Amino acid sequence: MKKSRESTDKRTRPYDPSRRSFLKGVGIAGAGAAVADKLWVEAGTKENDEQPQNSRVLSGTVPLVLEINGQKRTVQVEPRTTLLNTLRNHLDPAVTGPKLVCDMGTCGACTVLLDGKPAYSCLVLAVDAVRKQITTVEGLGSLEKLNAVQGAFVDKDALMCGFCTPGFVTTISALLKKNSNPTLTEVREACKGNFCRCGTYPRVFEAALAAAKNATGNS
Amino acid sequence: MQQPAPPKKKKKIKVPRVVNGVETMVEIEVDEDAGPGWGPNDKHMLLNHRLTRVDGPLKVTGSARYTYDVRLPNMLYGRIRRCPHAHARLTKFDSSAAAKIAGVKAIIQTPLKEFRFAGSPIAAVAATTPEIAEDATRAIVVEFEVLPHVVRADDSIRPDAPKVVDEESNLQQKDKRGDPEKVAAAFKVCDAIVEAEYRTPRIHHACLETHGMVVDYSGGDSATVYATTQGTFTIPKDAADALSLPESAVTATVQHMGGGFGSKFGIGIEGMLACKLSKQTKAPVKLMLTRHDEFVMAGNRSGSWQKLKAGVKKDGTLVALQATQYRLGGLGGGSQAGQPYVYHADESYREVFALHTNEDSSIAMRAPGHPQASFAMDSLMDELAYKIGMDPVAFRKKNLRDQVYHRQLDRGAREIGWEKRNPTPGGNAGPLKRGIGCAVGTWGGGGNNQCKVDVTVSRDGSVLVAVGTQDLGTGTRTFTRAIVAEELGLQIGNVVEQIGNSKLGSANPSGGSTTAASLSPSVKDAAIKTRLAVAEKISPILGDAKPEEIVFAGGKVSAGTKSLAWKQACAALPAAGVTAHGEWRSDLQGRGVHGVCFAEVEVDVETGKVRPIKMVQVQDGGLPLNRLTMESQINGGMIQSLGMAFWEGRVVDAKLGMQLNPGFGDYKLPGSLEMPEMIPIIDDEDKREVVIGIAEACIIPALGALANAVFSACGLRVRELPITPDKILMGLNGRKTA
Repeated sequence: MKKSRESTDKRTRPYDPSRRSFLKGVGIAGAGAAVADKLWVEAGTKENDEQPQNSRVLSGTVPLVLEINGQKRTVQVEPRTTLLNTLRNHLDPAVTGPKLVCDMGTCGACTVLLDGKPAYSCLVLAVDAVRKQITTVEGLGSLEKLNAVQGAFVDKDALMCGFCTPGFVTTISALLKKNSNPTLTEVREACKGNFCRCGTYPRVFEAALAAAKNATGNS
Repeated sequence: MQQPAPPKKKKKIKVPRVVNGVETMVEIEVDEDAGPGWGPNDKHMLLNHRLTRVDGPLKVTGSARYTYDVRLPNMLYGRIRRCPHAHARLTKFDSSAAAKIAGVKAIIQTPLKEFRFAGSPIAAVAATTPEIAEDATRAIVVEFEVLPHVVRADDSIRPDAPKVVDEESNLQQKDKRGDPEKVAAAFKVCDAIVEAEYRTPRIHHACLETHGMVVDYSGGDSATVYATTQGTFTIPKDAADALSLPESAVTATVQHMGGGFGSKFGIGIEGMLACKLSKQTKAPVKLMLTRHDEFVMAGNRSGSWQKLKAGVKKDGTLVALQATQYRLGGLGGGSQAGQPYVYHADESYREVFALHTNEDSSIAMRAPGHPQASFAMDSLMDELAYKIGMDPVAFRKKNLRDQVYHRQLDRGAREIGWEKRNPTPGGNAGPLKRGIGCAVGTWGGGGNNQCKVDVTVSRDGSVLVAVGTQDLGTGTRTFTRAIVAEELGLQIGNVVEQIGNSKLGSANPSGGSTTAASLSPSVKDAAIKTRLAVAEKISPILGDAKPEEIVFAGGKVSAGTKSLAWKQACAALPAAGVTAHGEWRSDLQGRGVHGVCFAEVEVDVETGKVRPIKMVQVQDGGLPLNRLTMESQINGGMIQSLGMAFWEGRVVDAKLGMQLNPGFGDYKLPGSLEMPEMIPIIDDEDKREVVIGIAEACIIPALGALANAVFSACGLRVRELPITPDKILMGLNGRKTA
């Protein structure tokens, strides 16, 4: 059975996994173009995908193997559980770099890379992240060896409270992988799906450009 | 019994203070034996430099552990069920179905039976996952008797409006100042009068880390509370009460926190519910508000409605001001600085009221009451300047008595290119019109004596500075380390700080921009005493030099021709090392700052869209502890103000009485695409050798600057925030057709 949106009254089935993903879908549509960039393509592919693993009805809890920062991790979650909540609440030890802020795909604090592309992990079900390479901010660099973006964030003071920072660092790291020498406009575009409340944007832009410069050796 | 310490001898010194935007010298009393001061602002080795924040690497790698990241064994997740009505009485509460859901461990009700705002918490649930907790909150069956409500100020002020609180008028007078007859007389002799109404909506703090806490209590004698808070020491007492434990049995801890902006003091109702759930289940409970909860029940900046009338002479002298100010704080009193704010009017009269509605109470938000007052007053000043044909900068100077503003206005004007602007509002050709505006603001930022700091130097040369304070992302950890490192002639990496724990030395909550001015004097005091204590111990190996003459610099400890590397010197310390305790010194901090903002915007008169082009803020603050983080804060103030000017505001449906935009999809925060060029300028002409908080000061003047820039660009005065395209198009259209 395909994940049908129309045929069932979802209100009578609170545990139906597709209910959760339907709500997430509204979140995507509501958030507009910024989000579409990140995830709609993924979700759309699933919609039209006739492969059997996307057609199963899952209930109770399901065992999953997720590949996170290069490590295979096993976890048991309800199928409605988002990738974000799986990382934070179910994996042991937890992966808490990606933050839960809006839980509806509007702020970017939960950004992770799925097969190298930025995605809002609050809009992805963990069951849909199986067989994808999941990279979180923890996988981009370490305290001992910051990646170029992380180092530039520290140097330029591109953070204050730091709650949005993992999302920005992840988004910009992905941008620089795709485009090693972005313009300021391209940096702004890349960050348009990430919110910061303390007001670090000018220095986030500075850090992104500095990281690009450092990484490519341009001067 | 310990003998009380004999009272210390005091001496009087004169220091500059800014009160109501005017700088004067005041006399303060300090201990006669108080150590040296900070010294000249330009002579520091670490302070007043650009120090990268010490917790930066933790935050950029995802290693910083916030309250939201805490996960304990057997921890349960809490969720809140809220009242959907603006005013209702609970008539039925049935949680039997919810309690049967597998994984639900506890359901508790709040003590309230009558709810006065949409979003008021009714009950809370603890369950094994947040998803199950959410199911359970929805499965609780509730019924209400819906009561009359009022949520709009214009409705609430009417005599027949429903009462927000029974037997009380919705309108409560809070302040009355000045002589109305003198003002009336002054109006008769002025050359020009402007009368106008200004409004600002309720603004949300929108802390990215929502309110909440993790209560680690499994029965027994003690509990640990992980709180996302601006006040480590505001937590233990209330948490202990909710857990029925003595205060000393509760340890509060906050290592990193995801934004507060004035909204995170005390445990809040969510914390009280988390404690009760933990007590009932004998398990750790994490209760973090959802984003929707956060919007409707975690507080907000009060709205404002100000009716102003002002009269000026042809030469620009402000001779009369009359103000009726309404603070729109919902159930709360709201806040609003009194008019004429920082300006001098020969005669002024104001009446200030709280006008209540069925909305959650406003709470402190970054410079409570100031942005609202500044926006209205600086818009009015702009209107007056244009009305008498005087340059708006010159007009402001004419009515600002404190010369500091004059130099700041000149500096800001130079930076933005004020002279090059078209002085005729809307005078530029084409549909994309640029304009420039300015405004001014003030704040206190002084400290208090709550911080107790301990510095320990160990025999291996390691240095630990410990105090229970919190770092909101303002850079507290960094300057704490830097002060100690500088005093001991070390680098910042040689010192480690321990903060965010209520079992450490006490500290004040971070409200009113008081943290730096409260904490840094205590840290400095502890550092000086540490230096002297270390000097005393190592004096024998430095030829019995006098402790106060031993020099700590460049990682060395020297006296005369003898010099030791820091580690070498520390090896001579006793086995337990040396610990010194620091207390607050009022002479190391000050009060009162000035700031001006200039903004350039571009208004598309065909679409009504405003594009911010450039913002400049000149801000003084005595001794800047860390230029890098201070500039970041100035940027942050401007950006939050930018959001309030053009996009942000709670939208409430009058009939339903509920918020229509309780999420980031509809409550528009400033984002990367809207950012103008931003120039934060630290006013180094301020030579005061004291620490003053600036976090709040720098959010104040940008609103007025941006609104005035819109007027300069397109000739339309928008007196109600946010300045959205619809207001601009309707205004421009109305003006043309009028």
